Amino acid sequence: MTESYTRYERARIIGARALQISMGAPLLIRTTKIDPLEIALEEFQHNIIPITVKRK
Amino acid sequence: MLPDQEAKIEGSALPVKTREQLRTYLEGKEITSSQFDQILNRVIDEYQKTRIEACEAVGIIAAQSIGEPGTQMTMRTFHYAGVAEINVTLGLPRLIEIMDARKEPSTPTMTIYLEPDYLGDRDRAREVSWQIEAAPLHEFGDITTDMENMQIVVHLNTAVCEKRKILPAAIIEAAPRKIRERRHYRDFEFETDGKSPTIIFMPKNRESYQNLFQLAEHVKNVIVQGIDDIERVVVRKESGEYILYTEGSNLKDVFDVEGVDTTRTRTNNISEISQILGIEAARNAIINEALSTLSEQGILVDVRHIMLVADMMCMEGEVKQIGRHGIAGEKESVLSRAAFEVTVNHLLDAAVANEVDELSGVTENVIVGQPIQLGTGDVKLIAKPLKSGES
Repeated sequence: MTESYTRYERARIIGARALQISMGAPLLIRTTKIDPLEIALEEFQHNIIPITVKRK
Repeated sequence: MLPDQEAKIEGSALPVKTREQLRTYLEGKEITSSQFDQILNRVIDEYQKTRIEACEAVGIIAAQSIGEPGTQMTMRTFHYAGVAEINVTLGLPRLIEIMDARKEPSTPTMTIYLEPDYLGDRDRAREVSWQIEAAPLHEFGDITTDMENMQIVVHLNTAVCEKRKILPAAIIEAAPRKIRERRHYRDFEFETDGKSPTIIFMPKNRESYQNLFQLAEHVKNVIVQGIDDIERVVVRKESGEYILYTEGSNLKDVFDVEGVDTTRTRTNNISEISQILGIEAARNAIINEALSTLSEQGILVDVRHIMLVADMMCMEGEVKQIGRHGIAGEKESVLSRAAFEVTVNHLLDAAVANEVDELSGVTENVIVGQPIQLGTGDVKLIAKPLKSGES
């Protein structure tokens, strides 16, 4: 995807991923963090979250 | 500037004005093509940053951005002796007038610009103003009520007629016609001898003096020159050209007057603009009027907020007011309308008409407690397959 995410899309993706992690999903990075939201943020920064948005 | 650079600017996704500014900035500057690319990319980046993101609640932001400074406006600036003693409604009352899309503003005014042949000369500007300003018959001569013979005698003053560039014959022709057409008074007869500039009016019913006096009133005040709706014209010199300011507005008839520059002449009557020049002109008029009303009070609001409001008002091809009888009152959704005003009536009518609510708007979804189609609520997620070899 060439276009970057809007702030709403970012929030939604990170939120969804944080929920998955908090419910026990396997992590995609090695980290020392504990808070699922922070882990999700780190995963997002590495661009490895397996979620994207569907644009109209 | 090199032609390929020119082409790059032209092909970039920038607004016309930004492209123009970039061109004037780069004009005559020595830059390498890599520097040029760098500059262009920076400009495009900056421009992208000023853009609104998708899903942003622009309507709410516009409402707040106009509403908050609006609280600073003086509530009672009703009239203001502005340009050359012509009264213009300003401030909050004017803003309300614009948003309400009134058929007629409380103080219609026009600013008439003149064509090149007329704008430099005071006398020629006056000539145009005579053609526009409504002049009643009593300004052109003496009117005497002859009670003995039950008649009204009008002696036209040829000197005045000459000064105002109108032939006495034209007045003699116009006066009785205008009394009939414009003032809707028909119970009279008139006589002219064809040579002297005199007209004699007689009421049809000569039994009572009341008819005579009634007729005298009509004869005195009938408009024989100019445009009926335009009560007053003031000629002023501004930045080297003569401009006519009027009290009263009639765009269509003013456009027919010789010497009027139809491209620059404007009125503050928005519904008149929409009828004569079309909806796009009306949209621009709303933007201009609202913006100038606000900035008059020292309030600076970004045009884009006002443009959004103007777009909403003109969206259906006619100027609609904001509120009960316009945008808010004609929404598709029942719940949305009911949330605005007169709730019970809307619900009752909708029930009787067996209306269906699609729940596609924001208000409806707030009411039923669903996520709304704004911000994060409007983002649809899908799974993206993991890249192989990772993690």
